[in-house]
Amino acid sequence: MSGLTRRQFLKRTLASGVAGGLVLSGGVRIAHAASATDVMGTLYDLTRCDGCIGQKVPLCVTVCREENKSRFPDPVPAEQIQYYWPNKKKEDWQGKKHLTNRLTPYNWTFVQKAQVEHNGKPLEVFIPRRCMHCDNPPCANLCPFGAQYKSPEGPVLINKDLCLGGAKCRDVCPWGIPARQAGVGLYMKIAPKFLGAGVMYKCDLCYDRVKKGLEPACVVSCPRKAIMFGSKKTLREVAYKRAEEIGGFVYGDKENGGTSTFYVSSVPFEKINAALKEQKSRQQDPAATGFPLMQAGVANFLDSANGMVAGMLAAPVAGALAAGYAAYKTMKEG
Amino acid sequence: MGEKILPEINKVQRHGLSVLFVHWTMALSTMVLIFSGFGQMPMYRRYGLTALPGLGWSADYSVTLIIHYIAAMLFLLAVFYHIVYHLIRKDFDILPRRGDMKESLAIMKSIIFGGKEPPCDKYLAEQRLAYAFIAFLVFAISVTGVIKVMKNLPSFNFSGNLLIWVNDVHTLASMLLVFGILAHLAAFVFRVNRPLIAGMFTGKVDLDYCKHRHCKWYDRLLLKESCKDRE
Ligand code: HEM
Ligand code: HEM
Ligand code: SF4
Ligand code: SF4
Repeated sequence: MSGLTRRQFLKRTLASGVAGGLVLSGGVRIAHAASATDVMGTLYDLTRCDGCIGQKVPLCVTVCREENKSRFPDPVPAEQIQYYWPNKKKEDWQGKKHLTNRLTPYNWTFVQKAQVEHNGKPLEVFIPRRCMHCDNPPCANLCPFGAQYKSPEGPVLINKDLCLGGAKCRDVCPWGIPARQAGVGLYMKIAPKFLGAGVMYKCDLCYDRVKKGLEPACVVSCPRKAIMFGSKKTLREVAYKRAEEIGGFVYGDKENGGTSTFYVSSVPFEKINAALKEQKSRQQDPAATGFPLMQAGVANFLDSANGMVAGMLAAPVAGALAAGYAAYKTMKEG
Repeated sequence: MGEKILPEINKVQRHGLSVLFVHWTMALSTMVLIFSGFGQMPMYRRYGLTALPGLGWSADYSVTLIIHYIAAMLFLLAVFYHIVYHLIRKDFDILPRRGDMKESLAIMKSIIFGGKEPPCDKYLAEQRLAYAFIAFLVFAISVTGVIKVMKNLPSFNFSGNLLIWVNDVHTLASMLLVFGILAHLAAFVFRVNRPLIAGMFTGKVDLDYCKHRHCKWYDRLLLKESCKDRE
C-alpha cells in the first residue's frame, strides 16, 4: 500500500483517535449532573459533650436506636444462619442487640471515653462515634456491587437490598465502621451457604429526616448542644474558629481525604488516639472492628490508585501514537 | 512487515510485530486483570486462596487494586494501539461478514465429523465471530472500567443507580470474557488449529497449511505478488 498521502494518513489517525477518545469523554457529562445540592455535615464539640453523665446510655445513642429501630436487621433465627462456608464463622448480632458500647448492626453510634493527660491534668474526653460520611468514601467507591453511594446531600448510604455482606467496605474504611449482620438480605435468596454473608449496617445521618429538612435524631437529642448540623462548608469554618478559640484541634477535615463530620477538641487527637488504642489493646479481641480509633491524618485507601490516573490517561494516548507510527512505517515499507 | 508468501522457507508471513505485540499484551494484561479483578470481590480469603503458599497478598485490596490499575493501563494501551493501527491500515480482515454464522457451523462440522472445510480467508469464520464477541466485551469492560476509575477520584460523585449499572456490566462482561477465553483456548484442542499458535509467536505459518486451509487468503496473496511483479 503506497498510495497513502500524508494528509490522508493524518485524517485517518485523527478519526480513529477521536473514536477512542469518546470512551474517555462519554462519562464526564454524566458526572456533572450529580452535584447540585448543598452537602450537609455535622460537628461534634468535644468540649461540650460529657457523655451524658448520669444517664445509663448517652442520649444520642438511645435516640438513634429509637429512630432507626424499624430499619435494624431482621434476620432468620440464629440457629438457621449458616456458617460462611468453608469457614466456621458467622457474624450474628441478634443476641447482642442490647450492646450500646460499640458499633453493631443494631447500634449505629456509641460514645467512647478516653482518659488523657492535658496541661498536666488528667482529663476525660467523651467521643460520640459513627460513620464520618466521607467526601470520597472508599467504602462506597469500592463496593463491587454498587450497593453503596454518597448521596448529593452528603450521607453515605448502603442499599440493604443489594448488599451481600462481603464487608469490603469495612476493610477499606479507616475506622472499620460498617457492621455485618448474617442471615438477612439478598444472599439469603441465592446460595446462602456458599455466597454472601449478610448485610452491612451503619449510620446514614438519618437520611430520611435530612431529606425532609429535619436534623438527625442525635443532633436534636443532645442536651448539651454538642452536635451541630448544617452545611458542611459552614461547619468546617465553625470547627476551625472554635478550635482557634480554645487553642484546640479539628478531626475529620483532613482525615480520609476529607469527611463531613468534624470533631473539635482541646486535646490533640494523637493523645486521644493513643488512649483509645491502649483501651483497645486490652479488649478481648484487640483486632475486632466496632471500636474505631482516631488516627490523626489517616490517609484515604484510594490515594495510591488515584495517583495513577495520569498513567491511565496516558496509556491510550501512547498506544494510539505508537500505532500511528507503526502503521505509517509499515505502510511506507509495503 | 506486511503479509507475504516466503517461498524460500516454505512459510507465509501472517502477522506483523504490531499484531503479535497487541495480542500478547492483551493476553497478559487480561489474565492479570481477571485475577486482580475478581480479587476486588471479597472471595480470595473466604475461599482459602490466601492460604496457598505465596498468595497471602491476594486478598489485600490495596495490592490487587494497584495491580488491576497497572494491568488496565497495558490493556487500554493495547486496545487503542489495535484500533488505531488497523483503522489507519484499513485492515479489516478479522471483522465478521455476512454468512459467518453458517460458515462457522460448516467448519465445525467438518472438524468434528471430517469432510471438506469451506475455503477460508485469512481468518476462519469462527475467528471473525470470536473476534466480534471478544471485542464487544473488551469495549464494554473498557468503558465501564474507565468510569470506575473516575468514580474513585475525589472530583467525581456518580449517582447510586449509575454505579450499580457500571459495576454489573463490568462484572458480567468480565465473566463472559472468561468464558470467551476458555472457548478461545479450547479451539486449540483441535489439531487443525494448532499451526496458528506458532504463527502467534513467530508471525509466520506453514505454506502448506496456508494453501490448504486459507486458500482464499493464499489466492489474494498470490494475486498481490503477481501485480507487484508487473509494476
Ligand atoms: C479484561 C479486563 C478486565 C477484567 C476481566 C476486569 C474484571 C474486574 C472485576 C471482576 C472486578 C470486580 C467487580 C467490580 O468491582 O465490578 C473489577 C473491578 C474493577 N475494574 Fe476491572 N476488569 C478489567 C479491565 C478493567 C479496565 C480496563 C479498567 C480501567 C480502565 C478496570 C477498572 C476496574 C476498577 C477501577 C475496578 C474496581 C475497583 C473499584 O471498584 O474501583 N478494569 N474488574
Ligand atoms: C495463552 C493464551 C493464548 C493463546 C495461546 C492464544 C493464541 C491465539 C492464536 C493462535 C490466535 C490465532 C491467530 C491467527 O489467526 O493467526 C489467537 C487469536 C486471537 N486471540 Fe488469542 N491466545 C491467548 C490468549 C488470548 C486472550 C487472553 C485473549 C483476550 C483478550 C485473546 C484474544 C484473541 C483474539 C481476539 C484473537 C483473534 C480472533 C481469533 O483468532 O479467535 N487471546 N490467539
Ligand atoms: S467513615 Fe467509613 S463507612 Fe463512613 S463514609 Fe467514611 S469510609 Fe465509609
Ligand atoms: S453528644 Fe450529646 S447526647 Fe451524645 S453523649 Fe454527648 S452530650 Fe450526650
